Amino acid sequence: MTDSAHPVNGLDDVVHQRVRLGILTIAHEARKVEFGYLRDHLELTAGNLSKHVDVLETAGLVEVEKGYEGRRGRTWISLTDSGRAALTAEIGRLKQLIARVETNGAGGG
Amino acid sequence: MTSNSLPADADPRQLLADTRGLARQVRHDQRLTWVALLVLAGLTLVAIPIDWFTMKVDCLPPISLPKGQMMECTFDRRAYLWFWPPALLLAYAAIAYFYLRAARARGIGARVRPYVVTGAVLTGLFLAAGIAIRVYLATHDAPEGPLPGWFLLLDRTLAPWGIMGLALLVLARIERNVALLAFTVGYLIVALVPVNFGWAYHSPDPRLEFLPQQVINGIVLLLGSIGFFLAGRRRAASAPLDEQPVR
Repeated sequence: MTDSAHPVNGLDDVVHQRVRLGILTIAHEARKVEFGYLRDHLELTAGNLSKHVDVLETAGLVEVEKGYEGRRGRTWISLTDSGRAALTAEIGRLKQLIARVETNGAGGG
Repeated sequence: MTSNSLPADADPRQLLADTRGLARQVRHDQRLTWVALLVLAGLTLVAIPIDWFTMKVDCLPPISLPKGQMMECTFDRRAYLWFWPPALLLAYAAIAYFYLRAARARGIGARVRPYVVTGAVLTGLFLAAGIAIRVYLATHDAPEGPLPGWFLLLDRTLAPWGIMGLALLVLARIERNVALLAFTVGYLIVALVPVNFGWAYHSPDPRLEFLPQQVINGIVLLLGSIGFFLAGRRRAASAPLDEQPVR
């Protein structure tokens, strides 16, 4: 098998990063997610999370909507179609990687 | 949590397990199962006097019947037409409102639309079936003798408590809520296979044939609501111990 066929070569650097993969996963399950929920569940600082959200927004994988509830500002993040496709592809490649590792492990005895 | 890119030798199993754990956490945070069951239980129990007093019952003159013989009565649950359809729609609207409000307060979206749409569609079917049977009986004689079992099962399935259960199956599916699925299967068995300890045959009033089942359905829904509420509280109390963040 050539290197290009290896699942690792298909991994998207933007998505294949723990925090950003976590953001995409939560946004996918939640339909839309508030910044504070992401910060609490991923245990990040606001600044750190902002950087990752910016990367995903620049890549067109998430949409960011800012608004107010009363006097409190809230930022909602939702997946774009591209983000949904990227997440699905990433999960698929992870499963391929696991299958490959298990196959090699079994073959190596 | 580290913000570094995944190292080349990172375990993809761990990464996949982390994403699944996050997804599971979000699904738990979206649930408000106890509220849905409480609204349905409340509706069922509140409707008891309405069903009782609006049911039209016509029996043969109450002559003394030989022991074990049933009176011949016709009945019309009129609340099925004018009370239950709007009440069910209001109940689903209330459930949707509580789900959306709770999810928004937690900072996430809600997954309740397919449940509400299913509930509304089934309510429409229930109303259509009620109208159809009245139109049929307006031009045909009521069938004599006991009705076939499949008809009674269909009748119970398209009754308010049957369609509540069918819609709950959809809620269990969209929430991937195994506990709710198990509860709903048990509830449907209770609602569709009528519990009868003889009150249908020995009661002086035919309305008593329906009352116990409605009380049982309401109590089952209420107990389910209490159970899910307590389970949710227990889970929330133990969350810091058994739910580790992604690292």
